[in-house]
Amino acid sequence: MVSNTVLCVDTGAALDETTARLDEEPTLDPITSTSVAEATQRLDSESVACVVTEYDLADGTGMDVVRSVRENAPQTPCVLYTETRPSEIETDAVEEVIVEYLNKDLADAGDRLGFVVDDVIAHSAQVGFLTPDDEGSRLDALSEYDVDDLPIEDSFERLTDLITSHFDAAVAFIGLLEKDEENFLACTGADWDSLTREETICTHSMLQEDVMVVEDIREDKRFANNDQLHDLGIVSYAGANMTTPEGQVIGQVCLIDHEPRSYDATERAELEQFAETAMEVLELRQSLRTAQKQVGEQ
Amino acid sequence: MSVSTDVEFHVEDLPIGPLDDGTSVLLTGDDCEALESIFYRIVSADAGEHSLVLATEESGVAVQRALDNAKRGGKERSSILTCSGSSAGENITTVDDLGDLTTLGMELSMLASAPEVAEGRMRSGIFLTSTLCGAASDTRSVYRFLNSNFLTDLRRNEAIGVAAVDTSADIGGDTSSIITGLETSFTGRIHVESNGSGSVTLEITGLGDDRTVDVSI
Repeated sequence: MVSNTVLCVDTGAALDETTARLDEEPTLDPITSTSVAEATQRLDSESVACVVTEYDLADGTGMDVVRSVRENAPQTPCVLYTETRPSEIETDAVEEVIVEYLNKDLADAGDRLGFVVDDVIAHSAQVGFLTPDDEGSRLDALSEYDVDDLPIEDSFERLTDLITSHFDAAVAFIGLLEKDEENFLACTGADWDSLTREETICTHSMLQEDVMVVEDIREDKRFANNDQLHDLGIVSYAGANMTTPEGQVIGQVCLIDHEPRSYDATERAELEQFAETAMEVLELRQSLRTAQKQVGEQ
Repeated sequence: MSVSTDVEFHVEDLPIGPLDDGTSVLLTGDDCEALESIFYRIVSADAGEHSLVLATEESGVAVQRALDNAKRGGKERSSILTCSGSSAGENITTVDDLGDLTTLGMELSMLASAPEVAEGRMRSGIFLTSTLCGAASDTRSVYRFLNSNFLTDLRRNEAIGVAAVDTSADIGGDTSSIITGLETSFTGRIHVESNGSGSVTLEITGLGDDRTVDVSI
């Protein structure tokens, strides 16, 4: 059974009580910190599946702990487990930081805690970024393509060179959408390896049937505050799905520009055709590899 | 506290349901009045149930009235979290800043875990999610809010939930694309299209057989 490490931040008997409650859950492995500073240090050095924190701490508040979590591991869920009521919690510095809240004063708070922590860990990916309904089978489909073993990069790089030139775009890339990140198999105009699913626009684009265009990410609140995208110089985006013959979206073929840009219907259709071509190349390479394997086994 | 069971929620006067415990519905449309009518018909609690409504634009008293209009006694069986009007009135909690999703989320979780809600069956709703999208500086925070504070309560209680989106509102980006993203978190969607003269067409997807039906409001 997989054991999930849970960092509990509290002091004295309350900390003992919290860890004892979590110890009752066979899937949870509580570790402890007694201050914001200590918790921050632990978060720097250890990977945790969830953080459970009191609000009132000697050197700060539970919201300071939450902020530290968001800086180090944005997808890690946090539970504020406290007697302090929401109306008394200072949120000026963290107005859009989302936390789970469980009031210790509830008669069955201790009983609920383990259930809540288990639940937030199980659904943390869903909270961190949007996933399609068929995410499980989509990832299975993606794993069928042994991209590392396929001599695909040169072909894809030629394709992104061609796409960049055709659209006169700053950047073109072909990326596969893995469980937690998008890996770029080829990228012309920039030197990008991967982006987390939470940061990439393709997380949204893959949900669309048609080509998704964001003419100016500064005007779209899904991306306007995404520092990672700004740091990469991304201003406009167009993305088309790479879809398997069974209908699973496994990747994207995308255009990026450093200035606002729109794409007309013809250009969108052409980008879709490039995505279909990329998928065909992947399919053909996979078929060839399978055939070679079969010949080798005979 | 519970995980999904065989509990069902009935929706009177609408060709919807019964809805299974844990069902979440994205309710969309560009006619706010029609949207409101459908929203309260689903969210107003029957006897033995409790409504928990996050209202972004209406006062707590107005929400209580709407619940009562949709179902007699609905007001008494409700808790309201509102960003508008005063907190005067029983079972009404107000939050000053609509953009403070941190506080909104914590208050919503607090109300959902209150004994009168958690020990029974809950109908939870947000009217309007589009206002939250408009107020938030980062739409990802709204996705997180929905997935962390709203939809989790449906898993932990015997509950259903409805989040209404006014598609005519400015929600900070391409409306259709944002709604496609929101849809991934919900069990199903009901799109409300006004026909005029007190009648609407509901396009129902993901809640049993997909269908289109006309209803009066």
